[in-house]
Amino acid sequence: MSTTVIYIIYILTALMALVPFPAELKRDLMMLQQNSYRNERYMRWLRSSGDTTSVIRLMGIVVLLFLLTPMVPAVVSMPCAFLYCGCVTGRLLGAIYKKPLVWTNRAKRIYSVQIALALFAGVAVALPLSLGGAIYTVCHIITCVAIGLYLLSHSITMAANWLLKPVETHINNRYYNEAADMLRSMPDLKVIGVTGSYGKTSTKHYLHRILSEQFDTLMTPGSFNTPMGVIRTVREMMKPYNEVFIVEMGAKQVGDIKEICDLVHPQMGIVTAVGEQHLESFGSIENVQRTKFELVDALPSDGLAVVNNDFPMCASRPVSNVECIRYAVTDTDGARYVAEDIKYGADGTEFTVVDRENGMHLRLHTRLVGECNISNLIAAVIIALRLGMNGDKIAYAVEHIEQVEHRLNVKRTAGGITIIDDAYNSNPTGSKMAMDVLRQMTSGKRIVITPGMIELGDRQEELNYRLGTYIATAADIAIIVGRYNRQALTDGIASVEGGQCRVETADTFAEAQLMLGSIASSGDTVLYENDLPDTFK
Amino acid sequence: MKTNIGVFFGGRSTEHEISVISASQAMHAINRDRYDVTPIYITKQGRWYTGEALLDVANYRNLPELLKKCTEVYMRPTYGDYNLYGTKKPLLGGNPMIAHLDVVIPVLHGSNGEDGIFEGVLDTIGIPYAGCNVLASANGMDKITMKMILGACGVPVVPYVWFTDKQWFAQRDALIEEIEKKIGYPVIVKPANLGSSVGIGRAADRQQLIAKVDEAEKYSTRLIVEHMVDNLKEINCSVLGDCDDYATSVCEEPIKSGEILSYQDKYMGGTKGAQGMQASQKRIPADLPEKVSDRIRYLAGETFRVLSCHGVSRVDVIMDQDNGEIYVNEINTIPGSLSFYLWEATGIPFDKLMDRLVALAIKRKREMERKTVSYDQNIFALSGGVKGGIKGGMKSR
Repeated sequence: MSTTVIYIIYILTALMALVPFPAELKRDLMMLQQNSYRNERYMRWLRSSGDTTSVIRLMGIVVLLFLLTPMVPAVVSMPCAFLYCGCVTGRLLGAIYKKPLVWTNRAKRIYSVQIALALFAGVAVALPLSLGGAIYTVCHIITCVAIGLYLLSHSITMAANWLLKPVETHINNRYYNEAADMLRSMPDLKVIGVTGSYGKTSTKHYLHRILSEQFDTLMTPGSFNTPMGVIRTVREMMKPYNEVFIVEMGAKQVGDIKEICDLVHPQMGIVTAVGEQHLESFGSIENVQRTKFELVDALPSDGLAVVNNDFPMCASRPVSNVECIRYAVTDTDGARYVAEDIKYGADGTEFTVVDRENGMHLRLHTRLVGECNISNLIAAVIIALRLGMNGDKIAYAVEHIEQVEHRLNVKRTAGGITIIDDAYNSNPTGSKMAMDVLRQMTSGKRIVITPGMIELGDRQEELNYRLGTYIATAADIAIIVGRYNRQALTDGIASVEGGQCRVETADTFAEAQLMLGSIASSGDTVLYENDLPDTFK
Repeated sequence: MKTNIGVFFGGRSTEHEISVISASQAMHAINRDRYDVTPIYITKQGRWYTGEALLDVANYRNLPELLKKCTEVYMRPTYGDYNLYGTKKPLLGGNPMIAHLDVVIPVLHGSNGEDGIFEGVLDTIGIPYAGCNVLASANGMDKITMKMILGACGVPVVPYVWFTDKQWFAQRDALIEEIEKKIGYPVIVKPANLGSSVGIGRAADRQQLIAKVDEAEKYSTRLIVEHMVDNLKEINCSVLGDCDDYATSVCEEPIKSGEILSYQDKYMGGTKGAQGMQASQKRIPADLPEKVSDRIRYLAGETFRVLSCHGVSRVDVIMDQDNGEIYVNEINTIPGSLSFYLWEATGIPFDKLMDRLVALAIKRKREMERKTVSYDQNIFALSGGVKGGIKGGMKSR
């Protein structure tokens, strides 16, 4: 082989070797981003995914050893390295990700530091070795170093993230202070906190709709229920003329709610529920209670706490620092606001909100269904009344509350079939509520289509079995989709004595839909309970 | 954080100068503890300027000098972009942002401002603004459609005949015959779309009618001839709020010097300059029996309601002193001085009136946002299947 050809191969190999590590650093950054930029979570992900010991990386180590072993002639190892780097490049650049990297400012900062670190390390190693060396020696060294950087990408990514931590903290503090300043400059703003294990998002939406009838009301959107989410809402959406700010407060551990309260200083607060959500990170139900009531503890003495007494862990918690109005739908002992004369119909629900202390009665009609929604509405009505709204305005707003898509959403098809769409509800309380609604439908056959619930850890089987027992008394026909919870649901349905529910199985939703075509007729009700993400089908 | 109010005034209108005075009064009345104010002056040529110098009416004597101290600006028609941009590009980058507006108060009288044309621009941008929307502004400005709507809704108006300038040329004799038969002399001739008495004249016979129509034709393509109440008393009443919830002010009686309240009467009054408008002679409250003033206030409210008005308007009615009949004559959807003197007499100070206008603007924006305007879904991309059927149903808004 002529020297020129060898030179060309060497140079091409060195150049090719320079491609994988920047591409891999970008991929690592994407993974870091999906792990909320938290190194410990990122490491957990690395361990569970086996990314560090993947075949392609192990091959990289072999190629690197090849290159470094004097016994293997470079004329052999360099083309190997070329092929390897080509493969890695093709894989990285050709990959399509479900959630690709979002180039936020933070991501750009980290990527710059990643590249700077890699180049610095690379040059520091390669430069002294290559000084005075011939071109093919230099190419050889560059190839080795570049592949080495590729193999070390995880460490480089975490190092960059760690180095930038003080910068990010500083930026976050600045955002925090800006948001706090903006809130401070609006002394007339009424801040209302909403928290609870279940129902806080719905309650927030209903409260927003009702208060908007009279006040210019801003709420934290979607699931912006962390301090960072609240800060973004204030900085990006707050208008100087806003009169009411509704803040949904989420918590995964003790202190989370207090942190948000320290920023927004709520004057009123609703605790919708204390339940077993996120139990593993809280440790105990007492900790859940303590955390949810951090909202009540943060209220000023002239504020107002609104507490859902249907949950024993709410009812049993005394409140002494602030006026507290307790409401309930089922467990009405000790509650001041209750719902009476509840009527469910095809066009929604009718009920009367009663203040047992002053005898106020307010008849409301809503398109929403389900007992949980009555409960959520009472909480919102209490706040609206306290802010001085009259019954007519409240009733008008309640009548016009939109159903939240896929959360116990009732529709009627042209063929006369009632569809209850509960496709996004996956928690045990929500699915039980859906069955309660289905049970009350009396016009025709009641059909439920469900794959069961997921992500319930070691209670997966037990809770799906229990759902089966509810289905047994609520539905005439159950179409169980997929195999994931088939056994637990079927067993649960079968366990109820005297149950009339017929069980059908389908592998996919498409199949279930086809079956439905031959089963359902005018007057029937179909409940879609918990559609699942693609990965579980 | 304060709400920044953009006050637009001037404009391509015969009432340009009056608008400057009204806006100046309004801007001085706005409570600066709660709001910031950005004045935006529209020249007679239709160019927009902003600057502190616009706040002083004395500066308008020397217009070229005034504009030199100001920055020419524009707004983009993009929905949701509430910024005011400078027209002069710096060496690098795009147009500089001069101010961010939260709410707009248009204080533009007459054409291109009070008639819905400017309101359409604001609706396109989506910024909350005080006063009537496009529909109510246009209907309120056009004396013909206004009378049609009021008549259809049971609000009394004088008998009228309307026609276009082309019709007048082609079918003059037939029109004259119709006028004489339906109304009878004396009549009053008006261009359909001008406020402030411009182009309006009284005709006692056929010869005068022809002369007055020929005069009115200069100002508008659409013309209206109305029954003239000879022994009349003009009474004005202001309405504040929106269709669902509005209040009426005490009544005023402007004192006239000629047969019709002339431009001079209305705006120049006894004195000259900035104070002219509110100083023009008037009696507040008008000297009326309570029953009559109640009836006028009721009709003013009805006029405001059936025309779907918003913000502050002034309804002008005519009283036939011979038989006590009351007719609604016109509505000003952006009245001179924003009718603040009527509200002061009713117990609402000027700064509170401005507060109310801002609150109403924001309320309307809130209500509009609740209505479905378009669908999230790209209908072209809709496909069948189970997922498309259940999860992909059309979402509102």
